[in-house]
Order: sequence, then structure tokens, then C-alpha cells
Amino acid sequence: MSIVDFISQFAPEVILTIAALAVMIIGLGLGTKEKRALGYLAAISLIVATLIIVFRGTYHLQLEGIMADSLTIDPMSQFFKLTFLLVSLIVVIASLKQYDNHSNQDEYYTLILLGTIGMMVVASAIDIVTMFIGFELASLSTYALAGFNKKDPSSMEAAIKYFIVGALSSTLLLFGLSYLYGLSGGLTNIGEIADYFSMNPGIIQSPMGIMAMVLIVAGFGFKMALVPFHMWAPDTYQGSPTVISALLAAGSKKMAFVAAFRVLLIAMIAIKVDIAMVFIILAILTMTLGNVVALSQKSLKRMLAYSSVAQAGYISMVFVVMSPEAMTGAVLYVMSHAFMKTGAFIAVAALGYMLLRENISAKDVDHLDNFAGLGKRSPFLAFSIMIFLFALAGIPPTAGFVSKFILFYSVLKGGFVFLVIIAILNSALSLYYYARVVKYMYVLPPSSSEKLALPGAYSLAILLALIGVLAIGIVPEPFVNWAASAANVLGL
Amino acid sequence: MVLFSHNAIENDFITFLYIEYNSTLIGHLGDDMEIIDTFIPVAIFLLFGLAIPLVIMFLVKQLSPRSKSPVKFTTYESGSVPTGSSKIMFNVEYYAYAILFVLFDVELLFLYPWVTVYVNDVVLNNVENFTTSFSVFAMALFMVVVLLGLLYEWKKGVLQWVK
Repeated sequence: MSIVDFISQFAPEVILTIAALAVMIIGLGLGTKEKRALGYLAAISLIVATLIIVFRGTYHLQLEGIMADSLTIDPMSQFFKLTFLLVSLIVVIASLKQYDNHSNQDEYYTLILLGTIGMMVVASAIDIVTMFIGFELASLSTYALAGFNKKDPSSMEAAIKYFIVGALSSTLLLFGLSYLYGLSGGLTNIGEIADYFSMNPGIIQSPMGIMAMVLIVAGFGFKMALVPFHMWAPDTYQGSPTVISALLAAGSKKMAFVAAFRVLLIAMIAIKVDIAMVFIILAILTMTLGNVVALSQKSLKRMLAYSSVAQAGYISMVFVVMSPEAMTGAVLYVMSHAFMKTGAFIAVAALGYMLLRENISAKDVDHLDNFAGLGKRSPFLAFSIMIFLFALAGIPPTAGFVSKFILFYSVLKGGFVFLVIIAILNSALSLYYYARVVKYMYVLPPSSSEKLALPGAYSLAILLALIGVLAIGIVPEPFVNWAASAANVLGL
Repeated sequence: MVLFSHNAIENDFITFLYIEYNSTLIGHLGDDMEIIDTFIPVAIFLLFGLAIPLVIMFLVKQLSPRSKSPVKFTTYESGSVPTGSSKIMFNVEYYAYAILFVLFDVELLFLYPWVTVYVNDVVLNNVENFTTSFSVFAMALFMVVVLLGLLYEWKKGVLQWVK
């Protein structure tokens, strides 16, 4: 395998890197009006990268060369790369309208592209150092994006909280990984570390080994926003620009999941029971607290943030069971949740944009009252929000149903009946606050009878997310197959 | 001849010591409790490090004389009488220089190991067309990215002290 072949395997990343640098440099010489073209450039690069991933499909390739120990191409990495690319694409398309008069939109698109590259590196990484660098690339970009509305105090608050907690969690994670490195005698490849510990199980069961796993679980817990590491998530998702909340909830949070899928496998060898116990507690706490607190939220962004916490609780049930079926469900859930959450956040962003266009001094545009009578004022927006919320609750024929079904069924098959009962009760609980929004939109009278005109960019972004949610819901087979082959990679 | 054998014995002895040392290390790693034992010096350092400031603070509180005059609570401006408010705005321009410094520091950090690889390529492996070798390509790519960063800063007017 020559170096050119090697690089061509990472063509999507290379294309995005070139596009990110091009957007940054071209943007230097352009005025605000001309910079709009850069958004389209970013969108085109994302489309090309997505198409490459889709057409290459699922395959496992044994890489050779200098980076073969650090990066891999397998169904798992490709599945997550596709998720990240689609989320970024939807976010970029929605941003075309949101920021078309912003003087720093070139930096905005550069940061989104660089963040996407970071997530893709994490998806491909099989080496703890490479994984950490990918994490940091994505994190540093998203810290800046969370504070992109520089004049808005809540956006700054979101960015600072996200930055401090992100830095803390990176430290914990790095500390834990450094213990693994030391205990394994200087190995960084995840597979090699796992092999080493399976031959010497005493080392990972020693106090140092347990300490390493605790630090790693806490580091990932912050990044996945599991209770009790979730405090930053509601404030950050509420305060950030809404399109960026979509990227954070659907992109950078899912990056932590793919990394955890790969790294926590190390722990599965010798301390499986302990890790299962930890995650039983974390999963129950996370889904219950997320859903209960979401019940009383009046801000839709905050409600979606708590619902995102709850969904992370469902997904983290996979660490309890760790069977191939459960992993299939979790991997599929990650993609479904990415579509549902992106769609819901972008729809809220679209409403906020339209309300602010009507009345520049409008406050709390994501308040529940603003959704009253939306079914009459903007039928398409109301319909798509309804679909996204029902998908989040897990109602057929949406992606939420299929992935929840596979995940819950596999946990049941794994013998954790009480866990499934709690998860299903939580799903029922969540339906209350999702259905309340639908009631506001379709039953309550509108505050004004004026129609709201949805800008084309938003319509396209919402439509893409809608297609994703319904496609996984109605034709689940190819997605499930891909998720299953992704789960097989881990060799559970 | 004698000298040679003497050297050999010495080398063997060093090798023996090295193996002994390594095997004790491996023995440590094999046993769970003894890993913790190797951290006892660290724990002693930690305890002393935590205790010494507390002891010193306590001693200072006990030994030093105290005076509570209003002058003591004024802002210290090298002995002269303070003027104006302490809450003023000033330019935070240094951060840009810090970023520039990091940029070129990292560049240098990468260039140094690269040189060793490059020499390896040219001298030891006799790569004929070394200007097109992978190491040159990789470093050229890196330099281009760093230069783009510099270009970006320059165009944004960071290199001017007062904008």
C-alpha cells in the first residue's frame, strides 16, 4: 500500500481539511456579502465527503504504513463519520441563512469543518493519543462556536462553561489514559493494550488499574453528559447559538460515544462486572434525571438539552450489556438521535430566526409560548417538529422507534429486566413533555394569525433531517445491517 | 589481551546489574501491592508539600506583628499616593504574541525530530531522490499550514500593536 493509497482512504478528511483552510484564507480578502459563497463552499465539501463515504460503503481495510497503528477504516468508523458529516452538513445548510450577514462567517464555517475533521479522526482512531488529538481538535473548535454570538451574554456563559468543563474532562480522560499507557508498559494502541491486559488481568484489577478506569469513565461521562457529570449540558445547549447546539448535541457528544465504545472494551476483559455495575447506576440516574427535569422546562432548547441527557442514558445501557445486539442498537441509536436532535434544534432555530426577523427585540424566542398555534402559522415547521419530538419519544414509524426497540430488546435479552422496565417507564414519562409541545402547536390558539415564512435554507436543512428520521424508521434494514457490521468490529 | 578480558568482565557485570534491576522492576509490576510501594516517595513529597505551606502560614500568623491603619488598605503604588480608579481598561495585546510564539515554538519542535528522520533517509537509506521523499512532503505540508496561520494573523492585523 503506497502512501497515495493510504491518503486516498482518508479522502473525506483531506477534502474537508483543504476546504477548511481554503475558507479561512479566501475569507480574508472578501467583504461580508461575498463571504456568503464560503458557506456554499463548506456545504459542497461536506456533500462530496459524505458521498465518498456512502459510495465506499461498509468495508474493513487492513491499513499499512506509518499511521496503520493509529487509524483504521472499518464499518464502525465509516458509520460514525457518515453521522458526523450529515449533522455538519445540516448545520451548515441551516447556518447559510442564520449568519448570512455576519462579518465572521468565514471563521464560523472553518471552525465547523475543523470540528468535523476532529470528530472523524476520533471515529477512525484506534490509538489513545490519536484519539485524544481528535477530541481536542473537535473540542477547541466547538468551544469557540458555542460563544460565536459574542454580544450575547448567555452565549458567552455557554462557551465558558463548556470550555472549563471540557478542559476538566479532557484532563481526567488524559490522566486515565496515561495510567493505561504506564500500566501496559508503554502501549498506545487500544487493541494491543486490551491484549496485554487479557494476558495480565491482575494489572487492570489492581488499584492503579481501577483508578485508570474510574478516571476514563468520568472523563467520558463528562463528554457524554451522563448524570452526575451533566451540569454543563443544559446551560451550554441553551446558551449557544441554536444551530451550534445541534452540532454539540448531535456531533461532539456522539464523538464521545464512539471513543467510549472502543476504549471501554479494554475494561471489559477483566472488570466487566464492575463496569456493568457502574453503568447500571449511571444509566438509571441519567435517564431518570434527564426526563424528570425536562418535564418542567419552559424553554424548548433547555428541554431538548435535558432530553439529550436522558437519551445518553438510554445509549449508555450498552456498556452494561456489551453484547453485539446491544452494540448494534446503540450504534443505530447514535445515528437516529443525531438526526432527531439536529432536526429539533434546527427547527427551534428556524422559529427563533423568524420571530427575531419580525421583532428584533424579541426575548426568549425558544419559550414554549412562542410555539402556540404554530400549526397554523407555519404548517411545515410544526409538522417536522412534531415528527422529531415523536421520534425522540420513540413512536413508530420513526428512527427513534427502531433504535429504541433494538436497544431495549437486546438489554432485555442480556438479562437486565429491571433496567429495561426503568427505561420504558422513562420513555413513557418523556412522552408527556414532547406531547405538550405538540399540544401547544396544534391545539392552542396562535398569538397572531400572521403566517411565518420559513427561509429556504432552513426548510432544506429540516427536510434533510426529516428524511433521515423517516428513512431509518421506514426502511431500517440497510441501517441496521451497517450498524450490526459496525458492532462486529469490536469483537464482543 | 588482559585489558580486553577485563573490559568484557566489566561489561558482563554491568549487564548483570541491569538485568537484576529490570527483574526487580518486573517483579514490582507483577505484584499488585508493590506498585503502590514504588509511589511511597511521591506520597512523602505530597504530604510534605501540603504540610509546609500550612506550617509556614501558621508560624507567620503567630510571629509577625500586625498593624491595622487605614493606609494599609490603600492600593500600593510603589510608595506614592495612589491616584484615580483602579478599574481602568487596558489593551490585552499580549495574547496575540503568545499565540504567535506558540505557533513558531511548535514549528521548531517539529522541525528538530524531522531533521533526524531526514538525515536517516538521506545518509543511511540512501534515498536517491530525497527531495521528493515522504519526509520532505510531510514537512512541506506542515510548513504550508503554519504559514497559512501566519498569513491569517497578519491579514487580521494582529501584528500591529495598536489597531
